[in-house]
Amino acid sequence: MYHRLSGPMILAAAALIGMAYTASAATVGPVTDDLGVIRIAKGAPIQIGAYWVLSGADTALGLDEKRGVEIAFKDVGGKLLGHPLKLNAEDDGCNAEGGQTAATKLAANPQTAIVLGPACSSAATPGAPILWQQGVVDICTACTAPALTASTRKPEYAGFARTVFSDSEQGKADATYVHNVLKAQSVVTIHDGSPYAQQLQQVMADNFKQLGGKVLSQEAIAPTDVDMHPLLTRIASEKPDLIYFPVFTAAAAQILRQAKETPGLEHTKLMGGGSLLSADFIEAAGPSIVGFIIGYPDVSPDAMGKNYPKFVEQYKKDYGEAPISGYHANAYDGAMLAIKAIEKVAKTDKDGNLYIGRKALRDAVFDTKFEGISGPIACDPYGECSQFKPSVLEFTSADPKTFGIGKNPKKIWP
Amino acid sequence: MARFNAVDIVLWGLRIGVVAVVVGGTIGTLLHNRYTAAQWFDFVVFGLTIGSIYAQIALGYTMVYGVLRLINFAHGDIVMTGAFAGYFVATPLDRSGFLNNHPVLGMSAILAVSIVTSTSIAVLTERIAYRPFRRVVGLAPLICAIGVSFFLEQTFRGMFGSAVKSYPSPDWQRATFQLLGFNVPRVDVLVIGLALVFMAGLYLIVQRTRMGTAMRAVAEDGEAAALMGIDVNKVVVFTFVLGGAMAGIAGVFYAFVYKQVYFFMGFTPGIKAFGAAVLGGIGNIPGAMLGGFFLGMVESVGPTLFLDGIGIPAPYQLRDLIAFTLLIMVLIFRPQGLLGERMARKRA
Repeated sequence: MYHRLSGPMILAAAALIGMAYTASAATVGPVTDDLGVIRIAKGAPIQIGAYWVLSGADTALGLDEKRGVEIAFKDVGGKLLGHPLKLNAEDDGCNAEGGQTAATKLAANPQTAIVLGPACSSAATPGAPILWQQGVVDICTACTAPALTASTRKPEYAGFARTVFSDSEQGKADATYVHNVLKAQSVVTIHDGSPYAQQLQQVMADNFKQLGGKVLSQEAIAPTDVDMHPLLTRIASEKPDLIYFPVFTAAAAQILRQAKETPGLEHTKLMGGGSLLSADFIEAAGPSIVGFIIGYPDVSPDAMGKNYPKFVEQYKKDYGEAPISGYHANAYDGAMLAIKAIEKVAKTDKDGNLYIGRKALRDAVFDTKFEGISGPIACDPYGECSQFKPSVLEFTSADPKTFGIGKNPKKIWP
Repeated sequence: MARFNAVDIVLWGLRIGVVAVVVGGTIGTLLHNRYTAAQWFDFVVFGLTIGSIYAQIALGYTMVYGVLRLINFAHGDIVMTGAFAGYFVATPLDRSGFLNNHPVLGMSAILAVSIVTSTSIAVLTERIAYRPFRRVVGLAPLICAIGVSFFLEQTFRGMFGSAVKSYPSPDWQRATFQLLGFNVPRVDVLVIGLALVFMAGLYLIVQRTRMGTAMRAVAEDGEAAALMGIDVNKVVVFTFVLGGAMAGIAGVFYAFVYKQVYFFMGFTPGIKAFGAAVLGGIGNIPGAMLGGFFLGMVESVGPTLFLDGIGIPAPYQLRDLIAFTLLIMVLIFRPQGLLGERMARKRA
């Protein structure tokens, strides 16, 4: 059957095409943006979303970052462009399900200008695409899985950036230390299936092999596993020089404790990752923690930005204790990056309402450069904004009250 | 001539596949000869240790199910409450040196407080949460049990925080001794031995006492037992007392072997112990014990014995898969569980 297009039909089609075109580039107030515009009424808060692990064994990781962000807000007077800053923090439980739920909740709020966090790559992996689908930029403050900022990352991660290093650097540094300093010839790695642990141990194993070492096996556990004895007995049969397990608090503490009791592992060295830099880990691991080493970026005052000591003093004053984990500076810088980017692109109309274009904000985040308290912040095209300096830390006491980066654990390399 | 449908063919295929993996993997592992006799001995000891803990927890599930036909999903959390109570006694005793100098008295005090706490919470749970649902049919009692589980977890989280707490590790626990030329950790033997003693005691209570007889009568037919003058409420409370006491003991043992307590610690062993109770034949006390030991042994020995020989990398990540696949296989062959038939015959 053949139909001729009538004049009104052509006009209707043109109108539809025109509407579709204008829908892709929204204009609200003085701002036009391809991904939409947030309008913040005069006096209303600028809502900054956040998701971190705020419960469970790894709480210290997320809480430390939340405090870093709160101090950043305080340092700018709690206001930006005349609007109060409001932090909407969600608990992601450091897992994929929690990340998905938290990101969905934050994305569902049309007033969410930008999102900070999470602490865990497991949460960021599903969370970042959900946010970006709504045009919300996610600045991660501690998730270090290499895939998140790899040049091969998928387009749904285009709105993701981080003010923390990539484990492609951490794994390489750990392999170098293990091979060249500890003189280990063989290792076994253990991961817990999380993107962080899985990717970090893989990078470490690949680099260790390139340096001439032997990776005897790459084992896996579940994060909730408690009985590590059979696994460690199996590993003991391979007689490795070192076991590398960048997993999280509860499982890592079990491995550490039970390895000390496993025949055949008496002389095997043990090494973990940055996820274990907290007083909670000292509490969980008990006396077996003394002498345990972890690979971590160098956060000694001389390696950090010049304002870091001032930040630590403020942290102690505000929370009555020294930093409880190792990512507070990255979180502070993440918040500052968000603030600077919003300042760059936000426009105010004559009535005092504020407008922020979502795509413009994404571009501003990726373009902003400044001297952060964790070091220089400048994003590459794939969202890697942090500089990496390696170090190895060793725990010196089983008393959680002695926790302090540089004291317990103390820096032993370089 | 027997006719097979598609389901039969799939089930037989599954059985043959599992048997092939078990037999082929075992032969491959043994031929590979990678592990020493001492390491095999360690695998067995570890399996018996965790198995004895599963068995004790499974008893709570199976007794409550036997009497009330209720799956008490909060039972794993009752274990957690016992472990926490023990922690608050064990820590000061350890710090003061009392636990090291007087291990028997110290352990007795820890176990006593743990048992009293978990028993009290179990009885309160029955009285407040489960009794109103006693006559309700459908899924409401089960949902209530899940609700109680969340309530206990979040209450303990609120009261004591979400961080993992380290259980004391006195010197006498860390020691090992020689048995048949093998090094045996003392804490493992203590846990297995005491678990066997407590489980035997519980079995005797159920089999040889008036209240135990009443329990079995209520399990057989509650209404008939009530008509015979048995106070069913009293029997149910007694069942929760026994289950709670075993949970308290299991909680302390679990914490002494694995050295950690936190609010969510009861969930995984609870689920596994429930699997063990089903495996043994839910409602059957010796079955629960057997199921617990079976599950522990399969978890500990299975990945190495079955998967190493066929070249599966990182086999320990599959231990739950192995354990629950075997559980399913057993239930396909014996839907009533390993020892479930005895009860079925009696009822018939």
